[in-house]
Amino acid sequence: MTPAPQSDPRESEANRDIMRVMDGIGPGYLLLLGLCVASVTAAGATWIYQVYEGLGIAGYTHPIFWGVYIVTFVFWVGIAHAGTLISAILFLFRAKWRNSINRGAEAMTVFAVLTAAQFLGIHVGRMWKAYFILPYPNQRGLWVNFRSPLEWDTFAISTYATISIVFFFIGLIPDIAILRDRSKGFKKLLYTALALGWQGTANQWKSHSRSVLHLSGLATPLVLSVHSVVSWDFAMSIVPGWHATIFAPYFVAGAIFSGFAMVLTVMIPVRRIYGLEKYINDYHFENMTRFLLLTSWIVGYSYGIEYFISWYSGVESEQTAFWLRAFGPYWFSTWTMISCNVIFSQIFWFKRFRTHIPTIFVVSTLVNIGMWFERYVIIITSLGREYDPAVWGLYTPTWAELTIFAGSFGFFGMLFLLFMKLFPVIAISEVKELEIHAKAHGTGGAH
Amino acid sequence: MPSLVGIYETPGPVADCAKKLRGRGFTDLEIYAPAAFPELDDALDEKPSRVRIYTLIGGLLGVVTGYAMTIWMSYDWPVVIGGKPFASIPTYTIIGFELTILFGGLATLLGLLVVGKLPYGSFGKADAAYDARFSAEDFGLVVTCRDRDVGEVDAMLRAHGSKEVNVVEG
Repeated sequence: MTPAPQSDPRESEANRDIMRVMDGIGPGYLLLLGLCVASVTAAGATWIYQVYEGLGIAGYTHPIFWGVYIVTFVFWVGIAHAGTLISAILFLFRAKWRNSINRGAEAMTVFAVLTAAQFLGIHVGRMWKAYFILPYPNQRGLWVNFRSPLEWDTFAISTYATISIVFFFIGLIPDIAILRDRSKGFKKLLYTALALGWQGTANQWKSHSRSVLHLSGLATPLVLSVHSVVSWDFAMSIVPGWHATIFAPYFVAGAIFSGFAMVLTVMIPVRRIYGLEKYINDYHFENMTRFLLLTSWIVGYSYGIEYFISWYSGVESEQTAFWLRAFGPYWFSTWTMISCNVIFSQIFWFKRFRTHIPTIFVVSTLVNIGMWFERYVIIITSLGREYDPAVWGLYTPTWAELTIFAGSFGFFGMLFLLFMKLFPVIAISEVKELEIHAKAHGTGGAH
Repeated sequence: MPSLVGIYETPGPVADCAKKLRGRGFTDLEIYAPAAFPELDDALDEKPSRVRIYTLIGGLLGVVTGYAMTIWMSYDWPVVIGGKPFASIPTYTIIGFELTILFGGLATLLGLLVVGKLPYGSFGKADAAYDARFSAEDFGLVVTCRDRDVGEVDAMLRAHGSKEVNVVEG
């Protein structure tokens, strides 16, 4: 018999390269994790203070009772859209370039939804009464109002959180089995339990592929519905600047735009630090930046249409609201939004910049900033400038809101950092699928 | 009865060999693979996976639950809101839609567990023929046969390009 080509047949290159990310904990990692934990602690302490003192410590002021908490909620729900887009929609389109980035993006989806969900509780103040939104009869036997977009939102967000976690876990099972076969001690126990006895038998893979396919089919309309429903929280009202039919597609495009930007912002340093250049290369960046360019145009188009319709409608309150967005007291947020989301991303028309990592990193970070400001513009400027100028108001975020806002990044970062050390940040079995296919073709199919 | 484990590097030969073995009347076969390959899906069993039944039933149950819950609750204590009918079907469609996805997705997970027979084995115990190399890059084709067939099976496994054949006593 000819000897096996590898020194140890129990190991493969993909296993080694990707599992290396999980090895060892350096000072840089600890510092970053420490920063995240510190900001989460600060946010937690602020929240406890807010519970004690009341929502007065947030910047709510008549008539603006949706502030940074809701802005940040919408922001994180938006970030959560890239994962499902990459894992479900690109899966159905057989876009093989998703294989290197889907795991990281799915993890971000789950963590972003978990981050977002907390803001609903923080925003309502009395978090322990959050169950009021669930369909149960109150003391008088009255049920919740299913005609309310806030009720739709409850169903959309909780479904999205559940399905993202299921999707994420199903994708992880084969990779956990890889870890189980290669770990010792406590980790072995943990992975053995989580791998559910996965051995990669023909029947297991067949059921697995089917499940992923069906979940993709279910998650594709879901991902489009979630941000549509979030947008209806606004569009179903009659507030000038909110009451627009374009809101659903506009929000969905924005969510995908910001989600992709976040995947780039996070994966670029991970790839660099852990030497994953072989798995995430120019090909992936080129595709992702094209997506950014496309969605930036959809978002830019929506901005344009919003302004056009407010002028064309002849409705004075709409016209005033939009005029004040651009030239009123919140002009700064509007122009930040337009520059970050529409202008800077145009650099990706040039191939050179679509693969130039520092440019991608800077632009994707700017997009994240711009998309946060987009929600700020939509929510704050519209509420502050409703029909009657006598009840116009100005809102400034307070230290409490900003601390909790910063804490949300800490929470997201903390979960992602822990995830990186516990599970493979790239889906190993999916990468192998491509590699083994290439090998089979290279040797003429071996039969 | 002994089990022969043929080790392969690509999925194509595994599928071919499994089909030939089945044609020769060997039915106790198992395949281990490091990733999902469509060619292996039908190698041991041509029938479509039953996971789809679970997804379908879950989805249908979801849509029925969504409409039934909202409509029943609206009539349990009827309140006119915004001049709309008690059963405001267009808005309840959103709840119906979300529950279709929710129930369908959870039923798919259940389908994976039931059809894929997970969790498998007692805690930490794998099949005797399972090897860590199957979660690296190798494929395994396991044939359990009578002692007198060992020679024939071994020859077939090797004829399809198996790089080594091991015997596991089961």
